[in-house]
Amino acid sequence: MSQINRLPTCGRTDPSQTIKFIFNGKTYQGVAGDTLASALLANGVNVVGRSFKYSRPRGIVGHGMEEPNGIIQLGSGAATVPNLKVTQVELYEGLEASSVNGWPNVNFDLMGIIGLFGRLMPPGFYYKTFMYPQKLWMTYEHFIRKAAGLGKTPVEADPDTYEKINQHCDVLVVGAGPAGLVAALEAGLSGARVIIADEQSEFGGSLLASNELIDGSSASDWVTSINSQLESLSNVQRLRRSTVFGYYDHNFLTILERRTDHLGLKAVSGPRQCMHRVRAKQVVLATGAFERPLVFAHNDIPGVMQASSVSTYINRFGVAPGRKLVLATNNDNAYRTALDWHRAGRDVVAVVDSRSSPSGELVELVRGLGIQIFDGCGVIEAKGSKRVRSALVAPLNSEGTKVVGAVQSLACDLIASSGGWSAVIHLSSHTGAKPVWDEKIVSFRPGESKQQERSAGACKGTFGLSDGLLEGATAGAEAAQRAGFGDGVVQRPLPAVDEVVEQPQQTLFLVPHTKPTSRAPSQFVDFQLDVSAAGIELAVLEGFESVEHVKRYTALGFGTDQGKLGNINGMAILANALGQSISATGTTIFRPSYTPTTFGAIAGRDIKDLFDPERYTAAHRWHVEQGAAFEDVGQWKRPWYFPQGNETMHQAVNRECLAVRNSVGILDASTLGKIDIQGPDAAEFITRMYTNSYLKLAPGKCRYGVMLKEDGMIFDDGVCACLADNHYLMFTTTGGAAGVLAWLELWQQTEWPELHVYFTSVTDHWATATVTGPNARKVVAKVCSDIDLSADNFGFMDWRNGTVAGVSARVFRISFTGELSYEINVSANYGRHVWEKLIEAGAEFDITPYGTESMHVLRAEKGFIIVGQDTDGSMTPADMNMDWVVGKNKAFSFIGKRSLQRSDSVRENRKQLVGLKTLNPTSVLPEGSQIVNDPTQAIPMAMQGHVTSSYYSANMGYSIALAVVKGGLNRMGDTVHCPAADGSVIAAEIVSSVFYDPKGERQNV
Amino acid sequence: MSELDTNNSIMQSSLHYLKGQYSGTAPANAELGLTVTEASHGCYLNLRGDANNADFAAGIQTVLGLSLPTVSGTYHSDGSTMACWLGPDEWMLVSDQTAETLQTALRDALTGHISIVDVTGGQTQLNLRGSSVPLVLKKSGGYDFEAWSVDDAPTRRCVQTNFAKATALVSSNADGSFDLTIRRSFADYIAQWLLDAGKEHGCLIQG
Repeated sequence: MSQINRLPTCGRTDPSQTIKFIFNGKTYQGVAGDTLASALLANGVNVVGRSFKYSRPRGIVGHGMEEPNGIIQLGSGAATVPNLKVTQVELYEGLEASSVNGWPNVNFDLMGIIGLFGRLMPPGFYYKTFMYPQKLWMTYEHFIRKAAGLGKTPVEADPDTYEKINQHCDVLVVGAGPAGLVAALEAGLSGARVIIADEQSEFGGSLLASNELIDGSSASDWVTSINSQLESLSNVQRLRRSTVFGYYDHNFLTILERRTDHLGLKAVSGPRQCMHRVRAKQVVLATGAFERPLVFAHNDIPGVMQASSVSTYINRFGVAPGRKLVLATNNDNAYRTALDWHRAGRDVVAVVDSRSSPSGELVELVRGLGIQIFDGCGVIEAKGSKRVRSALVAPLNSEGTKVVGAVQSLACDLIASSGGWSAVIHLSSHTGAKPVWDEKIVSFRPGESKQQERSAGACKGTFGLSDGLLEGATAGAEAAQRAGFGDGVVQRPLPAVDEVVEQPQQTLFLVPHTKPTSRAPSQFVDFQLDVSAAGIELAVLEGFESVEHVKRYTALGFGTDQGKLGNINGMAILANALGQSISATGTTIFRPSYTPTTFGAIAGRDIKDLFDPERYTAAHRWHVEQGAAFEDVGQWKRPWYFPQGNETMHQAVNRECLAVRNSVGILDASTLGKIDIQGPDAAEFITRMYTNSYLKLAPGKCRYGVMLKEDGMIFDDGVCACLADNHYLMFTTTGGAAGVLAWLELWQQTEWPELHVYFTSVTDHWATATVTGPNARKVVAKVCSDIDLSADNFGFMDWRNGTVAGVSARVFRISFTGELSYEINVSANYGRHVWEKLIEAGAEFDITPYGTESMHVLRAEKGFIIVGQDTDGSMTPADMNMDWVVGKNKAFSFIGKRSLQRSDSVRENRKQLVGLKTLNPTSVLPEGSQIVNDPTQAIPMAMQGHVTSSYYSANMGYSIALAVVKGGLNRMGDTVHCPAADGSVIAAEIVSSVFYDPKGERQNV
Repeated sequence: MSELDTNNSIMQSSLHYLKGQYSGTAPANAELGLTVTEASHGCYLNLRGDANNADFAAGIQTVLGLSLPTVSGTYHSDGSTMACWLGPDEWMLVSDQTAETLQTALRDALTGHISIVDVTGGQTQLNLRGSSVPLVLKKSGGYDFEAWSVDDAPTRRCVQTNFAKATALVSSNADGSFDLTIRRSFADYIAQWLLDAGKEHGCLIQG
């Protein structure tokens, strides 16, 4: 089949460049400048899809993003893209597309022949079925999904890249139709930073398909001229193929720019799409209007189209989608389509106008061509199956509510319909502005502005060209002035337009049939989801009154077209059924996205390795080279364990733990939070933050402390060292670092500004190597000659300045293993050097690098808690059996002190930290296990507590666990039970939480 | 910090392992959109104090030969020392002197409630140069750097802001390039981000 509908006039296409493409397996030819829709229409393809519910054949209706029927799957394989609209896909060589609906195919549709799904799925089907009978839902769902189609998700990873860009501008103009173009020009001339975005492949909007003259020349010449003026302004950024899809608070808008979609399925180079995140000082909305179709019986047969779309295909694409046209209208404007059709040399069978005796300029022009006009009549039904064969025309009463005469049939293959225009108020609605119904223009208008925005042109309900241009220019100048540019006065003279005078349209949405709506052949409102006028009336009969409820009950506007064509008609039919006005009925709320948006563009480059920052320590590469397995601790990558050969994790951890207790181990502790604290009130401040006192801590000394929130519950813990008078270093947990610093600043700035103290994070500055084990002193001695390491002169909980491996260092004798430990801190620039020197020095003692897992086991053997693992925000120091850390005699209170006296904090039977020793020494309790006294008790059993930490301890030779148990400290020796999900039960004895070296002799040497 | 030569082989800067890496086109083949160069400053000191205290201000002026910026989002620089405003009572000093020398000089000159903290090991500075810098900055954060372009006073602009999913102190230079002062632990992530964001027009991390 050749391009039977291609006209000799080519519009904006280039017939010299032909393009081959495949649709539903068949090869066709189009030309450069075509959309897939215009190319399909040129080739006379009638059926492009099947409807969702009834599986009726459907053809192309519109020419833009409002298209409900032409939903296709592009390509196949990894880059396949589902649910695109044929009207938005620009043609490229080799394009391959198929309909998303239709099973087995659109022309032979099994579902259609069976024809039973519509009856199975009346409005509210989902709700009715969910309610009763529930057990059938799975069966229904299987068929619904099969029948529904709506695209195939690609099964492979998306091969394309996507981008996100943050933009700032003084004026953002949305839409590059006539109003938007002059708005952008006026704002641009003022010197403001301007972004103008339009979803189409070229700027011009409605003018791209217009025959109107502007300043005596063609509309397209005028567009070219204004485009080049915009191009010459370096402060104006022009975004084509860019849909502004969301308008959020604080004038933040998002734009999806499709960069390579028009070139092919896979981006040739660079990102396929880019999401612009725009913060605009002022916004001009110039988003235009959609034509509203008239609703009549079988208005979904291929060959029923929007009047303006027919004109667009003729004027912009050089395609006349049929032979014999019947135009159905209630307004003057649509007569342009009859004129365009006539000019294309095709047959206008008749214009059917619902108004009696129309006589506007355009009407008279049509009449003058000898075209028959049926006035006071409506097209009440289309006849045909896969293409319109005729239109049934009947006289209507003057209100347009009743057929009042004989029906006659007009043979035709195209019915163009127009029920007037609906302003595109979506973005204005995103801001929370409540749309206002305007009887005069039979459309909603944008509500009162909630943000720094104004609408101009058709989207404000100003449908005439010269009025739209004036409004656009004024809006552009005003927006620029509000943003601080220009004086708000329009600079360029407005172009002259020969405006034709139009007579008022009739308010008509649903064209009556000879039968009542409930009996008439389906009169479709929402094509994509097969919502009919009868369906809406049925919803009202079933008691639904709110437009929001009816929308959800019938699925009106739920398709991928979001009801762009059907919503207003649906609301009008609902209002009529409820016997109330449209303004009383109101509209549903429009929300972002305006059109479907790819997840890829929203994710941008925050994917894979860049999904979340990975923080590295100075010795990270050494750990990688040694084959460490890593654990995520916050954003840090910490070595988890260092497997040797084919060791399992368990084997590696056992080896590491034994090495620490028997000789020496080394841990990268650089990730611990570190806060430098200076000021004359530092000691007082720190003493208020921790439960214990630091007032008498001397330079060279360290102390362990616990921090509580106001509720008395443990929030962080760590060691604080006195570096010098009025100078301290606070260690926090790795995960708590940022939170603790913010906590300190909060209290200093808001509660105790009179305390002179400053805080500075030094977490990143210091690299820390912890050398721990009985041989630790010998190792450190080999690389450090200027610190007296003897126990008498450098004892447990002391710190010293010195030089380690030639690098200035702070060495702390603090221990998280319970062994003799030196925490060596150096500037991170020398972190790896010092680490490697320590490894070298320790070689003769078989120094063993260990990771976080062994660190956890070793500290659990000592009963040292980990905040956030053994505590959960509901644990006091007493619950952790750490009353010793609470200073009872502090002069000033400390945060959380009062809450420790609350009745709940001091009640009997709180959960307390204890050790658990499994009766079977090799059974390791799952962390999180619930603890019960009697595993045979009927469910629900009485829970006694839960396991917080659990490991196999190679040093002890049996499994150990920490747990919190109700009244646990008084239950030493009791046997408790941990039932597992699989029905098994592990029994354990309650013991002290300190398993190893209870007197602490090993660290104090 | 001991008096170690910063070129000493035992020192590893934050970007040590990423030098010489590039994305997009090979560096020899075309003009690169983005060249990232890690600075080798002597030290980074975090300074806190009361800017309204005349003695404090005078002491700083004497030691640095610069006044402290007191206008938010600005820095003062004389080519060898840079003082960036971080907050009403907080500054980042970047200097060619060693931390020990500068810290001693400051402590000698200043009295009262102040805080000087050496953060040299935890900071690094990346210079971003090339035609894609404005685009890469737009990809990396929501701050409006374009609004700085007309500023050519000796007091230049700086801001602490989000940079991709990390943070950075971003400052503009008289030659049109930008500096990112970042934390060491995020340096790998930020370098990988820059290689990715600069890929379209080529990006090199100078060795």
